[in-house]
Amino acid sequence: MCDVEAKLIAWLDGELPTDEASAVERHVERCQDCRRCVAAYRQVSETFHAYCDAVMAAEARRRVPRWMPVLAGTVVAAAVILLVFPRTRDEPPLVGHTINSASMPVPAPTPAEPAPRKATMRRRHAAPRVQERAAEIQPMDTTIQIAIPAEAMFPPGAMPNGINFIAEVTIAPDGSVQQVRLRQ
Amino acid sequence: MSDDSVPLALPLLRLAAGSSEVTTLYRELRKPLLRYLVCLGLTSDEAQDVVQDAFVSLQRHMASGGDQENMRGWLFRVAHNQARNRQTSYHRRFGETLDGEKDFLADDATPEQLVLEREKLRRVAAAIRLLTESERECLLLRAGGLRYREIGEVLGMATSTVGDTVDRAMRKLAEKCNV
Repeated sequence: MCDVEAKLIAWLDGELPTDEASAVERHVERCQDCRRCVAAYRQVSETFHAYCDAVMAAEARRRVPRWMPVLAGTVVAAAVILLVFPRTRDEPPLVGHTINSASMPVPAPTPAEPAPRKATMRRRHAAPRVQERAAEIQPMDTTIQIAIPAEAMFPPGAMPNGINFIAEVTIAPDGSVQQVRLRQ
Repeated sequence: MSDDSVPLALPLLRLAAGSSEVTTLYRELRKPLLRYLVCLGLTSDEAQDVVQDAFVSLQRHMASGGDQENMRGWLFRVAHNQARNRQTSYHRRFGETLDGEKDFLADDATPEQLVLEREKLRRVAAAIRLLTESERECLLLRAGGLRYREIGEVLGMATSTVGDTVDRAMRKLAEKCNV
């Protein structure tokens, strides 16, 4: 083993004084063993770098953005609300076709009518009413706004304190997310 | 980390930094700092917190007229000390055999190349586990682009000691990785 071999790593790292580095360089040019060592150290350095990158990539795959659960939860909640209470703003009257005024209250059942017959009639009318209502459902312009603090997205000090960004989530008629827009 | 970074518009960065020097340092060192901290064992979120805290400290340091020499070493030192304070995470995972190496090996690699690369990573992970704590830290900081003098400042070691430690660690890795 050459004496110079002990300086090879420092030489590769550019940590030797200029004159010493020149001497090592001249030696490496004519010493095959040292050239082999240099190649080995270079390869070890590259593998170490690759391993560091791999650790970083593995950690990134594990990571879920902090705001993602909030957004996902909001979207799911919005979808459930839309499915359970479709178009509550223009609720049609729960009466037959002969009633024209939407503001008219639902009439009480006629007391004279026999109970079993009343139940049958209700059932008979119920099905068409559901179908009609389903046909009337129109796409809604439902937009959910989520405030995201600026410090969650930018480095500290990037924005003045208290600034929030608004994520607008537009829900499609089928409950899926149609559009997500970020604005200040 | 897929790059988990949020793209920042330059005006925002300028506002954040208050000086072009901090902006440059942020762009240059954010990723190496994150990689260093994740390799020390912090989670991605913990690493992001530490890096943000380090840059806040840097802003205060510069605003108070602190020494502006070797800011790179200064940032790594602050980040290193904050990572040390999170002892539950420190050195938790570095040296572990990684799952799913395929995800970060080249897409166009042949099956033989994939096998070789996986084997190489497995061997280096095994070799890293045999290093002492200071050897691991020296190599990680060296991989982050720090000079021996800067590594010594981060770890509180003499420059010559850093040189010896790096030399010893590299020989161990070369021996164990059979290169």
